[in-house]
Amino acid sequence: MKKILIVDDEQDIVESLKFVLENCDYTCYCAYNGEDGLKLAREIVPDLMILDVMMPRINGYKISRLLKFDQKYKNIPILMVTARSQEEDKLIGEETGANEYITKPFDLDEVVATVQKYLEPEKVK
Amino acid sequence: MGNILIISENDAILSRYKNLLNNQNIHVSSCCTETSIYDSLEVEPADIVIIDEKIEHPDICSIVKKIKSSFENIQILLIKKDETIDENLSKYINGYLFDSFSDDILQSTISVLLKNKQTADSLSEKNKALSGSLYRLNVLYNTSSHFAGTLDTKKLIEYMIEGLDKSLSFDLTCTISCGSDNEPVLIINSLYDISEELINALKFRSVLHYKSLFEGTKQPFEVDDTDLKVIKIIKNPNNKFTFSIFQYDNMFAPIDLGDNFFGCIEIFKEKPFTTDDATYFQTIVQQVSLPLKSAGLYEKLKKLERIKSEFISIVSHELRTPLTPIKNAISILASGQCGEMSEKAKVFIDMAKRNVDDLTNITNDILDMNKIEADMMNFNYSSMNIHSVIENVKNSYDLEAKKQGINLSTQEQDNLPEIYADSHRLGQVLKNLVSNAIKFTPEGKSVTIKSELKNAESIDKNSYFEKDLKALNGDYVVVSVIDQGIGIKSDDIPKAFDKFTQLENSLSRKVGGTGLGLPIAKRLIKAQHGAIWCDSEENKGSSFYVAIPVHNGSDKNS
Repeated sequence: MKKILIVDDEQDIVESLKFVLENCDYTCYCAYNGEDGLKLAREIVPDLMILDVMMPRINGYKISRLLKFDQKYKNIPILMVTARSQEEDKLIGEETGANEYITKPFDLDEVVATVQKYLEPEKVK
Repeated sequence: MGNILIISENDAILSRYKNLLNNQNIHVSSCCTETSIYDSLEVEPADIVIIDEKIEHPDICSIVKKIKSSFENIQILLIKKDETIDENLSKYINGYLFDSFSDDILQSTISVLLKNKQTADSLSEKNKALSGSLYRLNVLYNTSSHFAGTLDTKKLIEYMIEGLDKSLSFDLTCTISCGSDNEPVLIINSLYDISEELINALKFRSVLHYKSLFEGTKQPFEVDDTDLKVIKIIKNPNNKFTFSIFQYDNMFAPIDLGDNFFGCIEIFKEKPFTTDDATYFQTIVQQVSLPLKSAGLYEKLKKLERIKSEFISIVSHELRTPLTPIKNAISILASGQCGEMSEKAKVFIDMAKRNVDDLTNITNDILDMNKIEADMMNFNYSSMNIHSVIENVKNSYDLEAKKQGINLSTQEQDNLPEIYADSHRLGQVLKNLVSNAIKFTPEGKSVTIKSELKNAESIDKNSYFEKDLKALNGDYVVVSVIDQGIGIKSDDIPKAFDKFTQLENSLSRKVGGTGLGLPIAKRLIKAQHGAIWCDSEENKGSSFYVAIPVHNGSDKNS
């Protein structure tokens, strides 16, 4: 089973994503802050990551940059979840390397479709 | 009383006139060469010049002319040698004397001329005062119109000082005021350069003046002479003022805003000020207070606008955060992943879903508008094909159109060139147009999304949006969203893209929404160097057009 890592400091969002993705037969790992997220990503090397931008300590952009510019992890597709807030705009500045951006509040169907696009492209087509 | 210069080489004449006039309290001097005439008049201005026609000079007329033009109101008498009168000369002189005249006649002629001179002098003086007042009035008028033309505190103070300089020609002025960022500043305008020590002394003096205005009551801003910011404006840096400036005449006035003091001003001048000067000074300083008050309010307003924008941003962000899990929970329930629901339950879940979607759109609209207005909207430009954007939009609304019994179709010109735009933002605009079109179109009718290549010249003229269309230049891909709905009243067409306009005939009132969709669309398209406009016929339908520039090969990332 493909492994998905969900990193978001809002538990409700993590829980709903986990529920839907597990129903699609993915294995989900969850982290609730940037530090744990980064640690977990390096430990389990997921097949895909869903990453929130605004998180305490290490924000999503930073995590994305750290992984995407590392030979070992650069192939992990990253779906960045943004709230398009002004604080986020201030953070962006440089290339993040993320593969997709999903704006909060998102549609679960849309997220599932995007995940499938990366993990089961044959199924989508 | 009076000064008389006699120009003659004849001793007899000189002694006669001297004797005659000296005992009348009249000072008489004499000379006989041409240069000495002007020198003597320069040193001792005369009221009357008496010229003996017999002096040895080829052109007496030229001397008379020169005296008349150099010395204001001067009276000239000519002692004639014979009865002939030179027409040309008589234009410049005030009277003739003959040797044959008795002493009484000479005396009375001279005293009449002296009186003439006095009258003429006092008239000139009044004239001068009048033109001085006129000049000041003019300066006052100009200063006032400058005051009325700005809401910038700094500029207002500048105009006030400029007005004072023009009318009072001061040597130095110190203005202490509360600057725009609530930091007190001392503006020193000086004719000559001033030393650090003198600046410190002026600082101390101004702060004392300012504090004295409040006499123990609370000051609007704390001011301390040690850390007071100084702006120094020197007219002539080649010269320096010394401490003797404090011996100059000075005037002082508070800049009174009614409920508090904005600051105060002191001016120095070497020559003493007149009472007129004082009145004028007060007038100008009072004149500035009203616009200063407005400027203060305006600044407060701008600050509030900023706070509002920040507030909206925070609130809409905070609203969106909980929206995500609500949406997720509803969609999980609706999907049946938690077990089948009764038909009744499905109706209510559907109701919740629709309303959450509305709420999402509203918060998105408000956030977008706020970002655009704060000029913080970022665009990700790329060269791209319009086809994918239109397909995406059509897919998003196919279901909705089918539900309402509307035929949604696309008409695409073959081989359209690539455009240069932000695909996400362009999609947002087209989605808005299509969703509107579907809302306004009744069952059984159709909505068409058409795309074609057009040159700016070949775009159909539209009288409502002439200005927007004139700005176009070059090749564009024009996307038209054509509906067969209720249409827009012709009066309302130009207002379609205005902020917060809910057209009377529009469904937005019924359907809900912020009325921000089209204004946002307009701003998004404009930012991408395109144009958006519309045309409509009531009860027949509306067409909305979006023109996006064709990619010209270079990256114009702006």
